[in-house]
This record gives sequence, structure tokens and C-alpha cells, in this order.
Amino acid sequence: MTMAKTMEPTRRSSSMKRTRRWQTALHYLILTVVALFFFLPVYYLIVGSFRPSSEVLSGLSGFVPTNLSFDNYAGVFDHLNSDATGYFGQFALVSIIVTTAVVAGSLIVNSMAAYSFARMKWRGKKVLFLLVIILTIIPFEAVALPLYYMFSGQRDTVVIQAIPFIANAFSIFLFYTFFLDVPGEIEEAARLDGAGPFRTFFQVIVPITKPAFATVAILTFLAQWGSYLWPVLMVSDPTARPLPLAISIFQNQQPPEWGQVLAFGTMFIVPVLAVFLIFQRWFVASISSSAIKG
Amino acid sequence: MTIPKSRRTAGIIAAAAAVSVAALSLTGCGGPDTGNAGPSVEAGSGEGTINVWAVDGQAAENDALKKIISNFETSQNKIKVNLKLFPSDQYTKAVNSAAPGDLPDVLDFDGPTLASFVYNGKMAPLKGSVSGETLSNQTDSIKAQNTVDGAVYGVGMMNAGLALWGNKKLLDSAGVTYPTTPEEAWTAEEFTGVLDKLAAVVPGGKPLDLSEQYGFAGEWGTCCSAGPVIWSGGGTMLKDNKAVGALDSDANVKSLTTLASWKKYTDPNADGLAFPNGRVALSWVGHWTYPTYKALGSDLVSIPLPNFGKGTKTASGTFAWGMGATSKNGTASGKFLDFLMSDESVRIYTDANGAPPATKTALSASSLYGPGKQLQLLGDQLSKACGPEEQITETCVSVTRPVTAGYPIVTDQVGKAEAAIYSGKDAKEALSAAARAIDQNFADNDGYRK
Amino acid sequence: MTTQTQKIPSPAAAPAKRQSSAILTGHRFAGPLFASPALIGLAIFLVAPFVLAVVLSFYRVQLNSPRPARFIGFEQYTRLFTDPDLSAAFGQALLNNFTFALIVVPVQTVLALGLAVLVNRKLRGMVVFRTFIFMPLVFPLALTAVIWRLIYSRGDEGLLNAILGLFSGGALSSHDWLGSPSTALGSIIVMSIWQSVSFQMIIVLAALQSVPTELYEAASLDRANKWQQFINVTVPGIRNTLIFVALITTIFSFRLFDQVYLLSRSGSVDRGSTETVMTQIINTGFDNNNVGQAAAMTVIFMLIITVIAIIQRAAVRQRGGV
Repeated sequence: MTMAKTMEPTRRSSSMKRTRRWQTALHYLILTVVALFFFLPVYYLIVGSFRPSSEVLSGLSGFVPTNLSFDNYAGVFDHLNSDATGYFGQFALVSIIVTTAVVAGSLIVNSMAAYSFARMKWRGKKVLFLLVIILTIIPFEAVALPLYYMFSGQRDTVVIQAIPFIANAFSIFLFYTFFLDVPGEIEEAARLDGAGPFRTFFQVIVPITKPAFATVAILTFLAQWGSYLWPVLMVSDPTARPLPLAISIFQNQQPPEWGQVLAFGTMFIVPVLAVFLIFQRWFVASISSSAIKG
Repeated sequence: MTIPKSRRTAGIIAAAAAVSVAALSLTGCGGPDTGNAGPSVEAGSGEGTINVWAVDGQAAENDALKKIISNFETSQNKIKVNLKLFPSDQYTKAVNSAAPGDLPDVLDFDGPTLASFVYNGKMAPLKGSVSGETLSNQTDSIKAQNTVDGAVYGVGMMNAGLALWGNKKLLDSAGVTYPTTPEEAWTAEEFTGVLDKLAAVVPGGKPLDLSEQYGFAGEWGTCCSAGPVIWSGGGTMLKDNKAVGALDSDANVKSLTTLASWKKYTDPNADGLAFPNGRVALSWVGHWTYPTYKALGSDLVSIPLPNFGKGTKTASGTFAWGMGATSKNGTASGKFLDFLMSDESVRIYTDANGAPPATKTALSASSLYGPGKQLQLLGDQLSKACGPEEQITETCVSVTRPVTAGYPIVTDQVGKAEAAIYSGKDAKEALSAAARAIDQNFADNDGYRK
Repeated sequence: MTTQTQKIPSPAAAPAKRQSSAILTGHRFAGPLFASPALIGLAIFLVAPFVLAVVLSFYRVQLNSPRPARFIGFEQYTRLFTDPDLSAAFGQALLNNFTFALIVVPVQTVLALGLAVLVNRKLRGMVVFRTFIFMPLVFPLALTAVIWRLIYSRGDEGLLNAILGLFSGGALSSHDWLGSPSTALGSIIVMSIWQSVSFQMIIVLAALQSVPTELYEAASLDRANKWQQFINVTVPGIRNTLIFVALITTIFSFRLFDQVYLLSRSGSVDRGSTETVMTQIINTGFDNNNVGQAAAMTVIFMLIITVIAIIQRAAVRQRGGV
């Protein structure tokens, strides 16, 4: 990721240099096309959010930044202006609370379980760990319906949006692979210092396995922030509504307020995008380590 | 592996199973508490706060509703209203998923879902809570929609009307003359010819808007797109509570195939602006676009939907208001409903969305509906009510959607079939599959009889 | 652990006989204690609902209905396999899932590899290109579906149609990407790839960078050209990673829900051509309120996923992989 120039050997035939240059130009061309494919929808979202709804769907001119204004943003806040409709800030807060709770809870609970499986000796451990491994293949979607059936009494609460996602078999597995690599001498030293299992774990192990925590935090965050299926089933009340459920309000207008949909979407994604740009290096590192460990 | 170890394994699995069983019993495996005790509304003190649920609709509708509520709160000082709005795609699910005890005192509901809500014990009859005047002031078609097993469960501020909105300038430039009364409606063949002519004068060559953006696979398809086509072609969705032999009839196959043949003339209208921007000459949609469409001024004309053989047909019925089955404040809720149905409230609301008023006095005072007024056609269509499907005649126009607790499966399957046919699937196949699915569901529920 | 041949003793009676672990003297309960919050969570929110799905699949039960559940044995299953409509619809949904997997797994794995190779060169401005490629990763599917719905919009005002019209000089235009059965699933596939391929790319990129440079040097001494180096050094070097990528993509393919649910309920889309098992389960359970049948579908779906996972694990192990 550094900007370092490739080292050009000084003595080369000019024809080789020319091929080189052609190759590089071609490389840039392909890169540009590819980057456009990934970036154009993002650009379209952001530019569209500043344009009148009537011009969002207008062929190629949808890309042209004309008639820019904050009207769509004003429109979103204007629509969500009372307790009856709920507020944008309220939906965002629900999303933030739920995501934070899941990320924090899953870091604590799953790392402890993984540590226990990786480093402690106790009866039944092997069988239970095998069960956990088996559970990694059950997708949440497959149990959504019976889970709804079990907890329909807790509809419209913030807690029920978070709690089913805290314990996660795959996160346990990821932590497990990291903890296996911790040298035994470190724990031994902690034990000789008189540390119990809690102190050993939280004061000795956690600090030296930070990358594991970053990985699980980022993967959990990505899965949770846009969570859609479970809230659709469990939430209707504006006080417990997370951001993804509110998008359709603007789509249902007459005529559809596509500009407001995009403005809402932009506000939904830009903070995440900003965090992502700042921590891009970590993002990449943690995703790659999930594969190497997994 | 030694024997003792595996025995221990068995013990652990048993323990895990015990945990899950305990979890089940803790959370009440019975699922949503449907409360078999039956609806019981308490009259209550007649004051305090009442909870109200409604659809988060068009911005203008929301504002009108809030205005009415604030008028209500200033008109008296004993009852406060706590309003909650839900996105329309999630509203019916919200009511469906709520246990009767969690429902609010007053709630909005879509006409055809009422029978299923009543069947599931979610609604309370209004007699005794709402005044006799309010009930007798309801127009007949709305009263019919809100009556289940002889009891009235809802009152409505508005009805719904469907039409082909026409752009007079474009129609004239194509030399198309258009009908203005239901009796003169274009036949389906004539309509195809009209589309051919119009295709030449509109910019994109697609002169028709069928409101595709609402999604045929939802309520729009059943109520307002496939429904009128089916009824106008002499078919029905159900006959004697069965769909096989009704929905899959040859008449329906023919009508819906004709509808699908117009896809090539149809603008997808994803931006909802095809008509006001002049991309299309004809727009098949409901009254609710009037506030947007009226920008065309005197170029806006309303035309009956095409006649597929048995006269033009539209759907009647729309969102109305009822009471949650276990309201503890029936008197106050009734007072609020009375206020909602007052001429002033109905005027504010229907001005906001262009709907035909559903109370007799407000309808006669309407500035849009009635002889010589701009939306006369929509009002006339509603007054020529057919009642439910089985009573359709050639001359009646507005049809009430099937009143059955099994409506959710009917609308799901009819909408899905229409979308499939429209995208090119064989109509007979799609309709037969839908009919069998509906009948299977009815059979599973003993025909939704009590 | 195998020393006790008698009845399982109560935990209190055991300590004297057991060698305390080297690591945790005097903390016999620490292990289970550490593991229990997660295990209880998994038991309540994953195991119990699955058990409940099995139970419900033997009943005729409607959502939120006053009718009591009625035990009907295996009827839901026999219906799913013998009723011509149901089995056709369920089969179609399964087929859509498999088609999706069959296309997405190889395509996305190859694309991930191609992209990783593309961005693995040290060129000026590469950071910017990479950032653009990563961006969709943070997009929730609920938002992605809305944006792509607009892009795929039928008629000339849709972005994709407009772009194609421009490049083909107007010859190609106005295709109904989501509405026509032949392109509906393909459109969803492209959208899914847009959203998630950079995840796989990052994984492959990390693997690429861990291939020892000496291998390339040796290869170039053998006068292997770039392509030969790629086939003979790069691909074998990252084989395990590619298998891992294919594995997680397969699992994603079967979980397909959000984008299909959101896109197939818009416009004039024919649901049959895009329905997946997951959307069908939700449709059956929540739109048709038929909980019993949705539960039976869940159970079958789980069995299929389990079989696939077992086959994959076995295949990987046989090749000496992960």
C-alpha cells in the first residue's frame, strides 16, 4: 500500500522499457474500469442524495451533479419529525446501541469460551467444542422463524435485537485458533505470580491477542450494522426501529422520494465509510487473518 | 474411546438438550399468546391517553392526521392521543404479530385484512363505543367493507377510486377520443388500438403507466391491477370459498394475458413521474395521485379502466379505523373515532390525498367528487357498487375484495401470479398453481370457519 | 479423563481423585464457567429454535391464529415432496440457490483472485484504487438493494440501460433486468458480487503476499514467463486460501436472503425466478402464516446445508488442505 515506485533497473533496452510502459498503462486502464464498477453506485448514491427526486432516475444524467441542494436531507428530517414517526437520530441510536452491544458482548463472551476450549482442561470440553464447530454451519436465517416464535413476546425491544447475536460459534472458532498460538510459558508465569484464571485471561492473554479481538469486532460489526431479517420480524414500533427498516418509508411516498431514499442511505453509510477509510489497514488485516486462521 | 467416556458424552448431550428444552418452556413454546378469551373492551373512564397506530403514509396524509389529532386535543382536554406510524410495507405484519393485548386502542387497517384480524381476535366491534350518528353516516360500500359476520368493526374517512388518468393534450394529438362514463369504457381490443396510436406521440414510445412501481406481487396487484381485470372479464378470485374453478378460469387466463400483452407499451414508472412529466398519456392508478397529477390542470382527465367483457370494474375499499380487541378505554376511543369521522376531519384528510370521502355528509360537500366536478367519474364508479365478487353484474362498477379471514393467502397468491404472468409466464399455469395453493391453505384452516 | 469406570460421580466428590490441571490449580470450575455464557447463548438462540423447528414441522400450525396446533406427523414433509405445486416451488427455490452457488462460487473466487493480482502491484495511486474496490464491503444489503434497484430500472431512465445504450449506440436499451425471468437471478448475482467480492479479494491478497519471493526468483531463472509463474507458483501457493474462499462463498450462497427479499418484491418482478429457500421460508411463515410448513422447509434446508458442509470438509481434508 505504500506509494513507493517500482525499482527500475537502470540498464534496459528501450524496447523492454516501452513494453513495460504499455503494460503499466494497460494495468491502469483495467484498474480504472474495475474501480469505476465498484465506485459508480457509491457515487450515484451520494450525488443522487443532493439532487431532486425527479432527476435521480434520468439515465446517464443521473451522474451529473446539477441542481444540488440539501432539500432531500431536509425532507428526511421533515418527515421524521415527531414521536409518531420516530426520528432519524432515534433510529441511528437504536442501530448504534444494538451494534455496540453485539460487538462488545460477542468479544467478551466468545473469547472467554474460546479460551476455555483452547487452554483449560475440563470434563466434556471436547464434546462441547465439537458441538460448537458443528453449530458454525447453521446460518441464523435458518432458525429465524422458530426464534421469532419463541420470542414474539419480546417484540419491539432493543434487547431482543441484540441478544441472539452475541454468542457466535464462528467467533468462538476464530478466537480459538488465535489462543492456540499463545505460548504456554506466558500463562505459567502468570500462574506463578498467583493470578487466577480471570486475571490471567483479562490481564495477560487479552492484551497479547488484540488482533483477534480486532478481527472479531470488525466482522461482527459488518454483519450487524445492516442487519435486516431479524428486525423485520421483530420490530415495528418506531422507538425500537433500526436504520435499515426506515428506508422503505421514503420509497412508499407518492411519487417515490428517491432523492430522500438516497439521502437517508447516505447518512446511513457515510459515518461507516469514514470509519472504514480511517481504519482501512486494520480492516484489511483483520479480514485476511480471519482467513489464515479460519 | 472407552465406554465410560461415551457415557459421559451422553450425559452432556442430555444436559444440552435439557438446556434447550428449558429455554423453550421459559419462553413459552406456545408462541404468540393469541388469547382465546375473546375480545373484551372496557368502557374505561372516558379520559386519559389512547394509543393509536396508523400507516406512515404520504407526507401530506401524515400531516393531515397530525392536524386532526391536534384539533381533537384542543377541542377537549380529557383525552390525549399517542400516535405511532409504521412504514406501510411493515404495517400489516405489525398488527399480525402483535398479541391482542399489545394492540393499541385505535388502529388503522386495510379493508380486506379486517376479516382476518377479526378471526384472529384482534378487533373489537364498534357498537356501543362509536355514536350511532357516525355509523349511519358511513357510505354503503365502506360500511359493507367494515362489517364482518353482521358486526361493524371499522369506520372510514375515505374510500378509494381507480381510473385511467389521461393527458388530454397527448390524447388529442394522437387523435384519440376517450370515454368519460363507465358505460362507454374502451374494450380491451379498442384499448390496444389506442395504445398503438398513443405510442407514436409520446417521447419514449411507451404511452401507458400501470403503476408497476408498487409491485404487482403485493396488495396493489390484487386490489387494483389484477382484481379489476379479473372482475371485468367476468371472472372471480373465489367461488364458494374455493379458488380452483374460479381463479384459474379461462376468462381470467384471457384477461390477464391481455393485460400482460400491454407490457410493451408500459413505462415502468420507477420514479412515479411518468404521467406528470408527460412520458405517458395514460396512467392506471388510484385517487392518491391526484394531488400530484392535478398540476396538469385542465389537461387532466379521468377515464374508466378498460372493459374486458363484462363492463369496467374497479376495487372499492381502503384503509379504515377500528378498535383493538382489548382496549381499556373504549369510551375515549369511540370519541376519537367520532371526531375522525366529523366532516371537518374527513375534509382535511381527503383534501390531503384526493380520496373520495367515505361519509355521506362529507361526500355531498366534496369539492372534487359529485356531478360536474373533476373527479366525478371516480365518485360515480363507487356509487355503482357491486358488493362482493359473486354479485357482479355488467352495470355495476366497484367491487369489494373477498371478505374472508383467508384473504392474506388470496392476495399473496393472486399478486404473485399476476407478476409471473406479466413477466411472461403461462397464465393458465400460474393461475392454477395459485388457485391450488389458496385452496390448500383454506383446507388447512377448515375454510376459516369459526 | 478415562480413569472413572464407576457411575458418574457428583462433581463435589471428584476433586481428590483428579490431577489438578497444570494451568489452573484450584480453579476447577473456571473452564465451564468461562465457556458457559457463550454455550448458554448458543443453546437458547441456535439449538433450541432448531429443536423447535423440528417439533413445529410435525404440526399444522398457523401464525397468530386462534386455532390450536394439530399434530399431523410427517404430512408437511410428504407434501413438500409429493404435492406437485409445493414440490415444484420448493424445488425451484432450491434450484435457484444451487444455480446461484454454481455461478457465484467459481466466478467470485476467480474474480477475487483476478482483483487481488490486479491490486497487488506497487503502482502510484494504488491506495486510491484499492479503497474504491473495498468500499461496497461496508454497504448493508438493505441499502445495496435500493441502489441497485434504481440501477436496474427498466426503461431508458435506468442507469444500466442508459450506459448500455450509450456504448451500443442505442442498439441495446430498455431491458427489464429484474423483471424478465432470464436475467433476474443474474442481476442479483452481479449485485451480490459487487457487494462482497472485495472481502474475498482481501483474503486472496494476503495469501498472495505470503507466497515466498524466492519461488518467483527461482521460476524466472527457469525462464518461466509471467503466466507460467502464475500457474506454477502463485496458484499452488495460495491453493488452500482459494479453497477457503470457495467454502465461505458457498455458505453465503445458501444463506441468500436480504437482496432477494428486497428486490423480488419491487416492480413487476416474477418471484418464482428469484425465490430462494430462505425467502420462501419467510414467505410461507409470515405472509401465508403457515408456520408448520415453513418449519419443515427449515429442517430440510438444514439437512442439505449439513450434507454440503460435510462433503466440503471431507473434500478439503482429502486434498490435505485446511
